[in-house]
Formats: sequence, C-alpha cells, structure tokens
Amino acid sequence: MAQFLNYLRSHRKRLALSQEEVAFLLGVQSGASVSRYEQFAREPSLETALAFEAIFQRPASELFGGLYQKIQHEVAARAQSLIHKDQRNPNRRTAHRHQLLAPIASKSLKQI
Amino acid sequence: MNHSQPKHFCILAIALSTRGFGFVVLEGQEMFINWGVKTFKRENKNAQSLAQVKKLIAQYQPGTLILEDASSKGSRRASRIRMLTRQISKMAAPLKVSVKLFSREQVMKTFFTDGKGTKHRLAEIMASRFPEQLGLQLPPKRKPWQSEDSRMSIFGAVALAMVFQTKYMSHCRER
Repeated sequence: MAQFLNYLRSHRKRLALSQEEVAFLLGVQSGASVSRYEQFAREPSLETALAFEAIFQRPASELFGGLYQKIQHEVAARAQSLIHKDQRNPNRRTAHRHQLLAPIASKSLKQI
Repeated sequence: MNHSQPKHFCILAIALSTRGFGFVVLEGQEMFINWGVKTFKRENKNAQSLAQVKKLIAQYQPGTLILEDASSKGSRRASRIRMLTRQISKMAAPLKVSVKLFSREQVMKTFFTDGKGTKHRLAEIMASRFPEQLGLQLPPKRKPWQSEDSRMSIFGAVALAMVFQTKYMSHCRER
C-alpha cells in the first residue's frame, strides 16, 4: 500500500504541538517551514529529519513512510541491477555479495 | 519540491456545520492523518467550504469521501447545508473520489443500541476511543443558552468515518 510522504502532521497534532512550537524545537525561525514539510512541499535535511525523530520519538523511516518507501524501492532496483551485473562474472566474491544483496532487492520489492 | 501523491487507501470524512466544517483523514482502520475544523466568518460560506474541501482532496487524494446525508427522510439540516452537500458530491465525482452518505439516524444506530443519543454523548464516545487524538478537543457540555462549540464537528466527522468503517468491514466479512 502506498504511504503518505510523511506523517508529521499526524504526530504533531497527537502531541498537541503547534507548528511554531515544533519550529522552535527544530531550531528554525518560523512554523512556515514545518507547514511546508507537512504539506509534502519540501523534504527535510538529514539533520531536520533526525530532529523530527527526536521530537516525535518515532524512527525517521516511520515518520517519512512514503519517502522511505520510495527510496527503498529505488535501492532495491539498484540492488537488482548489481546482482544481474554480478551474474555475468560469477566468482566467490560476487556469490558472497549476492547473498547480501538478495534480501535487500527482494524484501524491499515485497513490501511495496 | 512538490511530489505527486499516489492514490492511497484513505478516507476523508466531513461534518458540515453552521460555521464551516470538521474533518478527519484516516488511513486504514484507525490511523489519523489529519483532523480539525475549518470555520468561515464571512459570507458565502459554501464557496469557501468547497475550496477547502477541494484543497484537502488534492493534498490527501482519498479514495472515499464521507458526508452526512442532509437530504435523508427526517433530516432537519439547513438548505445551505443540503446545497453544500450536493455541491461537494458533484465536485468529488470528476476527481474519482467515491462519495458515501450516511444519515444521522444511521450514525446514531451505530453507536447507540436504541438509536437515541446526543451529540455530546457521541463526542464523548469518540474521545474515549481515540484519547490521543481527540481527548483534548472535547469541549465541555454546553448549556442550553450557549451555542455549539465549533470543535464538535470534528467528532461528527470521526463518527461518520467510523460508520463507514463498520459498514465496510461488515461488508467484507459477509463476502
């Protein structure tokens, strides 16, 4: 099932925090930036994403569920192509790598 | 960076009121995505409400829109509300959002065995079921001379969503 890009508004409202209060906790100037994140108009930096994780006490992959799903899908596709590449040149190293990459490629695709 | 959102299995329930409307966006069974109330003080509340509903649909792209059936037998909703219900239903059709209407009677029958209950009692039931999301929104019981708190429409919207969930789940079980 496709997820929303993020669940920031849901978690903010659950904690009864205003956008200004979250902005203060994030260390940014105004609530407008929080509003942009909530409306999926802007993606936060890694620092901001981790700050959100600290505020809402939820993993960033859960807070940014849709974004995580999208990235996971892209990584899975790249892992698949790496496996295909390795299959053209089989040796002990590529066999070991295949073992590690196969769950990334298959598991990610299963979840989507 | 603007992302186009894919279609989600989420529902948007709207309870129209004299001052605007209350809404709730639910994903799956009971995951609250957004909820709140929109009030309008100026004239032409219908146009403003319609624009806000359109905005919510564009942002969350719900599969189903749930409204109160203002034209059902015995409904005493104002003609403005009836017209707005029709306008919203009409607006949702080309956006590929299915519209479900539930009468007040259906809502009351879902939560009260005898089908008789007050709005405040219904709000209390919703608040106790979802304390994290709605606990702080519950207004004190109004006195007969006081006008209704605008937040009450949030509970109306949640109740409509719950009625839909109940009907949908029972329909799935019947299959």
